[in-house]
Amino acid sequence: MNMHTQPQRTPAETALIDAFGDRLSLLPGDGAVMLKRDDAIETIKHGLPTRRVESWHYTDLRRLLNAVPDFDPAAMAKAIAPIVDGSAVVSILNGKSDAKVPVLEGVSFQRLSEKLIDGSIAPGLDPYGSDDAIGALNTAFVADGYFVDIADGVELEKPVELQNLQAGGQTHVRLAVRVGAGAKSVIVERQTGDGAALGSSVSHLVLGEGAEVTWLIVQEQPETATHLAQFKAHIGKNAKLTVFFMNAGGKLVRQEIVVKTTGEGADFKLRGINLLAGDTHTDVTMVLDHAVPHTTSTEVIRNVVTGKARGVFQGRINVHQYAQKTNAKMACNTLLLSDDGEFSTKPELEIFADDVVCGHGATVTEIDHDHLFYLMARGVDEKSARGLLVKAFVAEVIEELDDETIVEALEARLDDWFMAHG
Amino acid sequence: MPAVQDTIDRVRKIDVDQYKYGFQTEIAMDKAPKGLSEDIIRFISAKKDEPSWMLEWRLEAYRRWLTLDEPTWARVHYPKIDFQDIYFYAAPKSTPGPTSLSDVDPELLKVYEKLGIPLREQEILAGVQKTDASELEEVSDNVYKSGRVAVDAVFDSVSVVTTFKKELAQAGVIFCSISEAIREHPELVKKYLGSVVPTSDNYYATLNSAVFTDGSFVFVPKGVRCPMELSTYFRMNEKNTGQFERTLIIAEEGAYVSYLEGCTAPQRDENQLHAAVVELVALDDAEIKYSTVQNWYPGDAEGKGGIYNFVTKRGDCRGDRSKISWTQVETGSAITWKYPSCILRGDDSQGEFYSIAVSNGYQQVDSGTKMIHLGKNTSSRIISKGIAAGYSQNTYRGQVSAHRKATNARNFTNCDSLLIGDQCGAHTVPYMEAKNSTAQFEHEATTSKISEDQKFYVMQRGIPEEEAIALIVNGFVKDVIQQLPMEFAVEAQKLIGISLEGSVG
Repeated sequence: MNMHTQPQRTPAETALIDAFGDRLSLLPGDGAVMLKRDDAIETIKHGLPTRRVESWHYTDLRRLLNAVPDFDPAAMAKAIAPIVDGSAVVSILNGKSDAKVPVLEGVSFQRLSEKLIDGSIAPGLDPYGSDDAIGALNTAFVADGYFVDIADGVELEKPVELQNLQAGGQTHVRLAVRVGAGAKSVIVERQTGDGAALGSSVSHLVLGEGAEVTWLIVQEQPETATHLAQFKAHIGKNAKLTVFFMNAGGKLVRQEIVVKTTGEGADFKLRGINLLAGDTHTDVTMVLDHAVPHTTSTEVIRNVVTGKARGVFQGRINVHQYAQKTNAKMACNTLLLSDDGEFSTKPELEIFADDVVCGHGATVTEIDHDHLFYLMARGVDEKSARGLLVKAFVAEVIEELDDETIVEALEARLDDWFMAHG
Repeated sequence: MPAVQDTIDRVRKIDVDQYKYGFQTEIAMDKAPKGLSEDIIRFISAKKDEPSWMLEWRLEAYRRWLTLDEPTWARVHYPKIDFQDIYFYAAPKSTPGPTSLSDVDPELLKVYEKLGIPLREQEILAGVQKTDASELEEVSDNVYKSGRVAVDAVFDSVSVVTTFKKELAQAGVIFCSISEAIREHPELVKKYLGSVVPTSDNYYATLNSAVFTDGSFVFVPKGVRCPMELSTYFRMNEKNTGQFERTLIIAEEGAYVSYLEGCTAPQRDENQLHAAVVELVALDDAEIKYSTVQNWYPGDAEGKGGIYNFVTKRGDCRGDRSKISWTQVETGSAITWKYPSCILRGDDSQGEFYSIAVSNGYQQVDSGTKMIHLGKNTSSRIISKGIAAGYSQNTYRGQVSAHRKATNARNFTNCDSLLIGDQCGAHTVPYMEAKNSTAQFEHEATTSKISEDQKFYVMQRGIPEEEAIALIVNGFVKDVIQQLPMEFAVEAQKLIGISLEGSVG
């Protein structure tokens, strides 16, 4: 219904606005950055998005965000072992970057607080749209993070792991990465911690011509944390970007993936799994713009829903008018394993060019009874048979990643989740 | 100015302003003053000799409407509608209460003649006079053979004639205008009106509840298979009028009815508003098949004029094993905002939605369906084919949801879009919501243009390009056309051809 309403500020909205007032003097940034912060808090003053905002239709942030913890300067977090041995690790410990950074040829690490103070990061702080609540929240409060620059032509043997570890309170961090022309790398974005935190994390990746990047987002927040994350990328000419995400935790999680192809021959792959349990809410929202001709993309999302978990996948592919010869395919498959769980999908196609091949498919179902019978007929008991089938359903997506060490590392994370959630 | 010349050439090529049904009929009209107020609603209600409960119902809806905002979520753009600049009531001045076609204004009959849609076929219309018993029997024998159709014609706001009434009455079927039903079957109307689309459902449905002027009423009693196709023909004629019709179809236990509506409107510069509400109720084992061929005036080649079509259609599978099937062929209207839906309340009930939406010129279509699974073992099927050409925007927007208790809900959705030309847009926005682990939902969608290979294959057999495209498009929409009653399938195929004329090259 479209009744006239006079929205009243929720306690969470009030807490955020008050916190901004309190923190303002502590937030780093030059004049330009501070102006952006002011704009951002104005957006929040207009209210957090409700289900009436189309991109937040299934995640009514205004209703769901009912507690905002205070900043907790005393909370401590410790760096953890990387998922792939030998990775170059940089950590953000409860919102603060570590001054100690690895030395890696062709790669420079800079603390984001420095980029905020000198204002060089300011242009990247603009939200991408009027409904970009995560962008606004992050811009208002971001205090630290890293800027990573991988020089042209550098091919990294081992992954770079960027850890964002929270220990409670509020953390707002940003990871800005530039990958130079022809460079190749694997970047792991690790989102985890231990506490009832409210965190926002924005990653911003720019790929140069012909660069190849595999970006893995491994989110394992505790079931008490609110995690609002955004991954933004521009894919240049002939560059290839593969994004893999795994959501295996968090109380209220929203992972946005906002990608634009800006050069001909750009290729984007998205592979993701959502492992949902408990009384949690997880939303993955992707907006993909095919803005130039001759670009390709494929997306495969697999979801497992147990307990009282609610899952959401929204995927919108925009094909601009001049983006002829676009080839885009998206699939979202869900296994709904409990009667109290729910999953909503909204795969959208917005197409303004005619010479394109675009498609999407979405399914929601339970475990195939024939498959179950097949295994049980071979003497596997029902519980193990179900476990095998569910694991195979999501592992399929991981195995597409080619690189054996990464596949093994991710499957180990997968095993951890299955151990914990039976 | 080369740019202007280019535009002129383009327009000539597009040809959309040669709207086949764009003629006006000069008939004396009886109009209420422009604008909307409680007085206008009282006027409409008085004009219709309505009982006081109906007036109250309307006023309540009107008061509710005043508190609502116009919805803006659909992908359609148009200047704000000034509801005070519309005639909410316009009735052709014809002899009061026509009982046979001979009483009807001959001008009106000419309209039907010009349209040449099967509904108006002369022998069908002649059938209205066959009233004595022996002839009736003969007629009923021939019903299936001759494919006769009973017609209710709604002209601007008023139902002018309903054919085959007596014959239908013999089978126990009530088929009349809704105003007549309010007067003569108030108990049925009271029981079912607003039970599927409540007065406060949405902005346009609420407006319709306040000001609806006519529409059709069908009641098929227990165990009766309606002996012929029923049909309503809507036409808007008067300038600046809004047409607000209300259709209510009830199929009692085990009943079956197939119903078709067709719409056209004359060519005008201004936009005309059409906001209809259709409610279907299917009780245990009943089946309702509802087909629409919508061909309102789409506006001229520059996007001027045309009908704003804001329609709320919903079917309620209230009984177990009931079935409701929507089939629509949408080729007209400047703006279409229409989501025929099924509420699958009864166990084992079925909902179907077959749609072809063709847009050309500057048309904007935002259409789709909702399948709400509430009962156990319910199933639904959605086949949607969108074809966008010219500068048009064609959106499919659909929702499939399974309630917690809807065990074994099953849905299959297929929505394909075809793009002709690089200035148009095709969009797909499906919503899938599963709250039950036994639900099984499948959705697939594709968007592409007609492949060069297909076109080459057809053309190298000597078929000109335009015909080749029409042939391929007809193949593309075949799944839906098959669902239409046979006579209308032929009509619909022709209509698609006409709508796409000039979109090639």
